[in-house]
Amino acid sequence: MSAEPDGQNREPDLGPEGLVAVRRSWSRRRTLEVFGPLIALALLVLVTTAFNPTFLLPENILNVVENQSFVGLIALGMTFVIISGGIDLSVGSLMAFAGGLGIWLMNTAIRAPEITAAAAQAQQAGMEVPYGAVRIALAGLFGWTGLGGSEVWGVLIAVSAVLLAGLAAGLLNGILIAKGRIAPFIATLGGLAAYRSLALALADGGEFRSASAELFKKLGAGGLDIPYLTNRYGNAVVLRWPVLALIAAAVAAHIVLNRTRYGRYVYAIGCNERAARYSAIAVDRIKIITYTLIGGLTGVAALLNSSRMNAVSSGQTGAMLELDAIAAVVIGGTRMTGGSGQVWGTVVGLLILGVIGNMLNLLQVSPYLQGLVKGVIIVAAVLVQRGSRTEQ
Amino acid sequence: MPTAQQQTILAVENLTKDFPAVRAVDGVSLGFRRGEVHGIVGENGAGKSTLMKIISGVYRPSAGRLTYGGRAVTATDPAHALRLGVAMVHQELNLVDTLSVADNVFLGREMTTFCFINRKESIHEARRHLARVGSAIDPAREMGSLSIAQRQMVEIAKALSCNASVLIMDEPTAVLARPEAERLFELIGRLRSQGVTVLYISHILPEVLRICDRITVMRDGKVVTTLERAKFGDGPSAEARLASLMVGRPMADHFPDRAAPQDATVLTVEGLSVQGRVRNVSFEVRAGEVLGFAGLVGAGRTEMAEAVAGLRPRAAGRVTIEGAELRPDQPAQAVRRGLAYLSEDRRGRGLLMGRSVVENVTIVSLKRYAKPFISRRAELAATRAHVERLSIKLARATDPVDTLSGGNQQKVAVAKWLEVEPRALILDEPTRGLDIAAKEEIYGLIRQVAGRGMACVLISSELNELLGMCHRIVVMRAGRIVKVLEGDEMTEENVMLHAAGVKAGADE
Repeated sequence: MSAEPDGQNREPDLGPEGLVAVRRSWSRRRTLEVFGPLIALALLVLVTTAFNPTFLLPENILNVVENQSFVGLIALGMTFVIISGGIDLSVGSLMAFAGGLGIWLMNTAIRAPEITAAAAQAQQAGMEVPYGAVRIALAGLFGWTGLGGSEVWGVLIAVSAVLLAGLAAGLLNGILIAKGRIAPFIATLGGLAAYRSLALALADGGEFRSASAELFKKLGAGGLDIPYLTNRYGNAVVLRWPVLALIAAAVAAHIVLNRTRYGRYVYAIGCNERAARYSAIAVDRIKIITYTLIGGLTGVAALLNSSRMNAVSSGQTGAMLELDAIAAVVIGGTRMTGGSGQVWGTVVGLLILGVIGNMLNLLQVSPYLQGLVKGVIIVAAVLVQRGSRTEQ
Repeated sequence: MPTAQQQTILAVENLTKDFPAVRAVDGVSLGFRRGEVHGIVGENGAGKSTLMKIISGVYRPSAGRLTYGGRAVTATDPAHALRLGVAMVHQELNLVDTLSVADNVFLGREMTTFCFINRKESIHEARRHLARVGSAIDPAREMGSLSIAQRQMVEIAKALSCNASVLIMDEPTAVLARPEAERLFELIGRLRSQGVTVLYISHILPEVLRICDRITVMRDGKVVTTLERAKFGDGPSAEARLASLMVGRPMADHFPDRAAPQDATVLTVEGLSVQGRVRNVSFEVRAGEVLGFAGLVGAGRTEMAEAVAGLRPRAAGRVTIEGAELRPDQPAQAVRRGLAYLSEDRRGRGLLMGRSVVENVTIVSLKRYAKPFISRRAELAATRAHVERLSIKLARATDPVDTLSGGNQQKVAVAKWLEVEPRALILDEPTRGLDIAAKEEIYGLIRQVAGRGMACVLISSELNELLGMCHRIVVMRAGRIVKVLEGDEMTEENVMLHAAGVKAGADE
């Protein structure tokens, strides 16, 4: 094999028989890469159960999954982004902004009559108007179109606004990266700063509290009763919408990544962008779709999260969430360099992070130390995978 | 008492290297003399590179002994080997693009005053070392701005600056054009007269026969023989003898017969220009024709091909395939209309090295297998058909393509383009770095697809390949077509004279 002008010194040079050996060592390192996270999860579950058998209660497990579902939806998108060789740091801030914007618009719609009346009153009395001009104009618009004052319309407006904001932000990231040729890290770092700032400005540093007392909450806090399954108080165990959304999204993401042209192209671009271009793949379009996808999933996560809390904190919601999402992807065996990875790996990564948090709670470890454990797990996961990758 | 010329400077005894399932080097004993150019030839997998990597300290031998200038060691590492006077000029040229030439020459052993790099002195010293290899490159220039030939000179200067007495060159001319290669041979001659031993690995047998004093032939990890150059005689018979020693059987003429092209024109290029690279290039390729493109490195052949395929912006020009025009900057459209371009850069542009053979074969034609969900079974069946037709050697089609040997990787790259059943196929250096057997297979394949009416464009730096395969040869120089050679005009001499600009072409 000396005849390889472009050969890298990675593989030993072997004849055809040597191929078998290379392949064997390759499948060994693949095995660890693929099953490592799964084995880690199984160990964690065993240890946690040994310390506290209540861990295995269905409601507890569902609780773990539910807590991870918001970051989980985003991590699914992040899997695509990282496999394509990119990164998206803007998702946490975007979650706060999109969710906050939704509640703000919903409140404006629901309270449109009050706002219009109060504004008119204040103007007549020559007093300072208690609302901003944009809000008054929007309230007027909602009132004029007949959407104002209705909770149903308000919730519908919120849902579409959150999803659209997510998609639009993702599209913008994609265009900046693909057409503007800005490194993904930089482009989305801009979003990280900008969306947080927009959320803070819109809420004046405070909280967006939903004006919908019941309906809006049902999206995130509602769900299906699981038949024949009751918790220890005799109530039905509820499969909440965020959990269902995560499961459905994970299945869909797996199929898209493995069984569609788009998915195949994502791998190709992450593996070698230039070779992908030389294979007549529309690289720019695939990238834009990928960032729009994670934007959309961030929108869904923002919607479910703001609905479950029935509020959004402009400063706290989604803070550092981008790192949790990246951590789940990396623990799941996806390489930061792109070109390889699996959706189910990310799901396992999410569960590992969730189980650790739950275990530490059950073991009554100080919440301040949980970050340390998480950090150690992330680094250990990467070390194990790296170790299994180095040959000789 | 041996003369200075006969003195052995480096020897290996019973050297063996085992990899998990194969003995790559098997009981090799060799002595290299001071100031000789020692050629090492053999097919891919013969163990040449492994042997050189042991000598330069990259690999530890499984058994055996190495003797550097009288000092016996059982194993070494690259830094130690360098101190013992053995330096390797790597195929992929290990240089840092963003640093200056001088910084690269002294990388890792910077000249310092206190703890600061002494820029003036290192530039001065670098200039001295570059002068020794006959190069006048400004040491202050940024590495990235140098041509490949210049980078190679820097790499050699760097090796010599470490007082190397043994220089290993692995396929050094694979990346060079003819005049650059000539300059390298001159330098090798000069180094020999200075007492430097050069271990020269190459597939290009005429080169080996021309510059080497002794030649070692390897096969299956063993040394077949080491012979003085004079033992081979002269002319083509010398090459044939060497080749038959390499493969262990007599070699036939390795170019299959040409069939006459059909009348229908498939690919037409008119007035094609690429900013700063290609000027006003026009040509036609008929069905079943193999049109060769000769030229020096930098003549603009690759840039021309990339512009035709829509991978590089055109400044001007029209490209049509069977009458249908290809829009510029639309690689996907070019493929749909039936144009395939096999890149010269297999690793960087041709293949997705970490992905499976199947994925690589179907990446361009994926639409056929996705309705809308990809049928893995159909993909695998199609890949198996290609594997069989091109006799690609692999364990499983789902293995990553980088587990294959170079020749088989190249066949996968070809398969990926045959998959789309193109009307015109542009092959850019399709046999670079392949051994004789793999080359012959690629030649046979080109004949086969041309015989089925495909229009083929063959860009190559190997003259005998162009002469053996093509119906006509277009010679390019500095971005222009300087001559189209046909029939009896197609001689090695004619191509070289036009490519180098010694002979003015009629159409210039």
